[in-house]
Amino acid sequence: MIAEAGHYALVLALGLALIQSTVPILGARWGDAALMNVARSTALAQLVFTLASFLALITLHVTSDFSVVNVFENSHSMKPLIYKITGVWGNHEGSMLLWVSILALFGGLVAAFGNNLPLSLRAHVLAVQAWVASAFYLFILMTSNPFLRIINPPLEGRDLNPVLQDPGLAVHPPMLYLGYVGFSISFSFAIAALLEGRIDAAWARWVRPWTLLAWIFLTLGIAMGSYWAYYELGWGGWWFWDPVENASLMPWLAGTALLHSAVVMEKRNALKVWTILLSILTFSLSLLGTFLVRSGVLTSVHAFASDPKRGVFILLILCIFIGGSLTLYAWRASALKQGGLFAPISREGALVLNNLFLTTACATVFVGTLYPLALEVTTGQKISVGAPFFNLTFAPLFVPLMLAVPFGPLLAWKRGDLLGAAQRLFAAGVAALVAIAVLWAWTWGGSTLAPLAIGLAVFVVAGALSDLAERTGLFRVPFGTAVRRARGLPRSSWGTVFAHAGVGIALMGIVCETTWNSEYIGSMKTNDVAHVAGYALKFDGLTQRQGPNFQEVAAQFEVSLDGKWLSTMKPSKRSFTTRGSTITEAALLTRGASQLYISLGDIAADGTIAVRIYHKPMVLLIWFGPVLMAFGGMLSLSDRRLRVGAPKPARVPRSLQPAE
Amino acid sequence: MTLWFVFAIMTAVAIFAVLWPLGQSAGVRNDASEATVYKDQLSEIDRDLAAGLIAAPEADAARVEISRRLLSAADHQRASPTASSVRIRRIAATVALVGLPALSMALYLPLGSPGLRDFPLADRTGTPSGSESLDNLVAQVEKHLEKNPTDGRGWNVLAPVLMRLGRYDDAARAVRNSITYSGDSSDRRADLGEALTGAAGGVVTAEAKTEFERAIALNADEVKARYFLGLAAEQDGRPEEAAARWRAMLAKAPPNAPWRPLAQAALVRVGGSVMPALPDGAMASAKDMSEADRAKMIHTMVDRLASRLKQDGGDVEGWLRLVRAYMVMGDRDKAKNAQTEAREAVANDTERLRQLNEGLKNLGLDG
Amino acid sequence: MTRKQRRLTIIGGSLTVLAVAVALVLNAMRGSIVFFSTPVMVSEEHIPPGKRFRLGGLVEKGSLVHGDNLAVAFKVGDGSATLPVTYKGILPDLFREGQGVVAEGALDASGVFRADTVLAKHDETYMPKEVADALKKQGHWKDDYGEKSHTTEAQAGPSTSGVSGATQGVSQ
Repeated sequence: MIAEAGHYALVLALGLALIQSTVPILGARWGDAALMNVARSTALAQLVFTLASFLALITLHVTSDFSVVNVFENSHSMKPLIYKITGVWGNHEGSMLLWVSILALFGGLVAAFGNNLPLSLRAHVLAVQAWVASAFYLFILMTSNPFLRIINPPLEGRDLNPVLQDPGLAVHPPMLYLGYVGFSISFSFAIAALLEGRIDAAWARWVRPWTLLAWIFLTLGIAMGSYWAYYELGWGGWWFWDPVENASLMPWLAGTALLHSAVVMEKRNALKVWTILLSILTFSLSLLGTFLVRSGVLTSVHAFASDPKRGVFILLILCIFIGGSLTLYAWRASALKQGGLFAPISREGALVLNNLFLTTACATVFVGTLYPLALEVTTGQKISVGAPFFNLTFAPLFVPLMLAVPFGPLLAWKRGDLLGAAQRLFAAGVAALVAIAVLWAWTWGGSTLAPLAIGLAVFVVAGALSDLAERTGLFRVPFGTAVRRARGLPRSSWGTVFAHAGVGIALMGIVCETTWNSEYIGSMKTNDVAHVAGYALKFDGLTQRQGPNFQEVAAQFEVSLDGKWLSTMKPSKRSFTTRGSTITEAALLTRGASQLYISLGDIAADGTIAVRIYHKPMVLLIWFGPVLMAFGGMLSLSDRRLRVGAPKPARVPRSLQPAE
Repeated sequence: MTLWFVFAIMTAVAIFAVLWPLGQSAGVRNDASEATVYKDQLSEIDRDLAAGLIAAPEADAARVEISRRLLSAADHQRASPTASSVRIRRIAATVALVGLPALSMALYLPLGSPGLRDFPLADRTGTPSGSESLDNLVAQVEKHLEKNPTDGRGWNVLAPVLMRLGRYDDAARAVRNSITYSGDSSDRRADLGEALTGAAGGVVTAEAKTEFERAIALNADEVKARYFLGLAAEQDGRPEEAAARWRAMLAKAPPNAPWRPLAQAALVRVGGSVMPALPDGAMASAKDMSEADRAKMIHTMVDRLASRLKQDGGDVEGWLRLVRAYMVMGDRDKAKNAQTEAREAVANDTERLRQLNEGLKNLGLDG
Repeated sequence: MTRKQRRLTIIGGSLTVLAVAVALVLNAMRGSIVFFSTPVMVSEEHIPPGKRFRLGGLVEKGSLVHGDNLAVAFKVGDGSATLPVTYKGILPDLFREGQGVVAEGALDASGVFRADTVLAKHDETYMPKEVADALKKQGHWKDDYGEKSHTTEAQAGPSTSGVSGATQGVSQ
């Protein structure tokens, strides 16, 4: 009954979504408040039914009901409870159900907390949201139904792909989906604005929390996924420029651009048409990501066994939504009124520059990801575009962006003073130069690029701090006053500081890890000692262990530094009998922000093991940076104040200007 | 029936979600608009100015800008919602009342399986059907025997059930009681030996062997005991003796004996050869046929076996017989196919799969 | 600055950045794109030694030889041709004889493919997509190759005495 009730709930959600996607729009057209209000109650009911459906699927997985095909194919009665639950979205059907649940969740949130929206705008937004939802409900019911049954249920399931049996699965996909799907709200707002034919600063104010929320989740989701790949795949790599990773990076880049352009729009009523376009593009890229991962055109850990019918269906959804929204944009955008003016050197100008680089970088990722597909379709030629391509295109575009980041917050709205900003960044520049000089001397003869890149990162972090010092008047006014000012500073300003510093810190981690990591690859016998980056790792022998649904062979390593014992590390190999596959579980030892990383290769009959040991300096900064960015986002999200970009009036003597 | 009741309630909730706002009077006003945001922004500037976050000239400039936006927003004020027409509401309500259930049913019925109940694993441990009642039954009989330990018939009934449930120690106890209270017999001795073997994880212990020998002493044709004595010989490292015992067993066996394939498989395992597994009677009648007729007959029989296995894939011995028949007929490809099909058919039952693999290994088809 | 000038500045700036990006992309396209080949394509196309490409196919059964210090040699075949491959390092978990593999590297003068990367990422059917496509094209693809044959292999693993199975058989 649970299975069928869950199935029926999903069907009802589709019915409600269809009503929600038409009735409110008619209501808005005819000015009928009752019809417009239908959007709200249907969105909430849709959320209830979708959640019920999702909970039903979780229940089925937890109780190991193998009469449900999805449970049979992806679960096993011996699987630990947490993986029974996370396994729900560790497969195609279940993850699509999670996708629509989150879509319904965002729709429900707008319905519940959207009282500050004009009635017709809310009706339009929820209707557009329901269009997307209807398409995906249909997709699930027709091609990826998680509630199909087996008449003669087998006694045991086929188990979940062992690589996915990891706590990472509990967090990474839901986070990523909250990000992907969250951008559907900005998309719906953009389409609603185009349908209504009016857009102004208030629009940006309304859409801000939603964009920010999605961006925070996407940032954390990507970082989480990267860390998961780092420790689970056993290769010590944290970013592979894999098409699936790119599929999540593209909406992030576009979303980051959207976040910044929406600030300009909210405060200065400018860049309106561009912001609308970015909203559409960001969600389109999210859809594209879903298509790439779900259609089976790509192969990776993320690609669940695929069915061409699904690919065609998603491609259809993609074409309808992206094509339709861009057509609507082309048709209606010219009718939107242009807004405020600004000089090229100004806060607005800096944000335009930010947008320019972010979208261009996004475009290069887009080209690198889709070019092989396009080439294969047109010529049949198979190529792979790997890390070198992205390093050569993405990195050069990010350098000027990073250089510009500290300047942005220091420029005034409408017309800025580049020289003044540069003066205020003097200290940050000095810090960067000192860092470069010190590193250069320290790693004499090593990489020339790395110290420069670290210097850039230091500049970004110090720049963010200088901005803070400027705003509070630190070192200029008495300390107490500065603290008082810091407290009074809007939380969104604090958010900017943290997010920008996060970018610099992530860059530091990336440069350190790629430049100065050291590795040892070789075979070891019992009592052999490997030396990596000053650490001595002694191999103590193998032990066997029986897990709930796997067998494990663990190697024990005693780690010491300068003859002093530090810790024991136990990398292992797990054999999962049901799927007959083996996976490597790497062992990690964290020292400050650096990590030692051991991953096992083949184990020979005589107890000799092939082993890969890495020392990864400052590697944790790579993920700490994004966490800091997300924290900045949360600070900004918690700031309920209205934001006003007080423009700098013309012709005011410089001496009269206080700090902003 | 409960399921349809739940469906009905869910549908009612969904319809209610559409009808409720339609039934509301337009009294619930929502006067949020762009102008509200700009008015809030204006007061925000005053607060910022007071807090010293922006300077007076900038505040003035900002005020001018926002006032301009406020004016323009007021110019483009949205037409406030009119009182809604009852006719439109009725139409919408009808759509929800009729359309929602109709659409849901039209989609659900072809996709769903409303006739199928849930099968959570906890409800179906042990034997696939009626396991709960079996457990209850066993418990009842055990309780009864606790009070009346001298009821030999009770022990008699309980022993084989316990054996099938895998409770070999209890089964051995039950058989012993049955011997004590309702007399010794060859099959009870053999059952006892089997229970002891089961308790020892499949090893025919000395104790079990004694029981089998007692069974043979009581009845020289006791099949189970003879089979297990063969097994004991095999486990003791005397395959020739094992083969001899099993061969003798097969020679005496009626052609339709259910344990025939098992003994044959065992024989193959220790290296003895058997004829392709067609019932002896059939082979006898085939002897008198012409070569072509015989081939045809064998083919028909094999095909019949194959089609039966297609429907009922759980018969491990049948599969082994099929694979063997194909090999004897020299059709290696078909044998391999049958092997794959067999594995798929029993893939969900580890015990049978293991039996199958064991048998296949003995057939020497590289698997 | 007039409104027009401002707009021109912004448009000019955008165009410059775009031009730079296009230049970067074209430059990177020339240097860092790797083509995919199968052994039969290698034998037909005469790829010069030293040119990097990705080789995909099935690891020939019985061809894997472990050398000293993690050196391995194996043969990759696609049903029509085979190519010897050497690699130094740890093979991924999913590397098996008879299974699909994708290796990146270049041919040396003697026609041996020196791989510096053996790709670890497969989907759950243990068949890299490129390899599957290439095999299908050459008609060596059996539909049941992927997951099914894999499960069969796993389940056909060594089984123990089978005695308890026999016990059950008799008692039934």
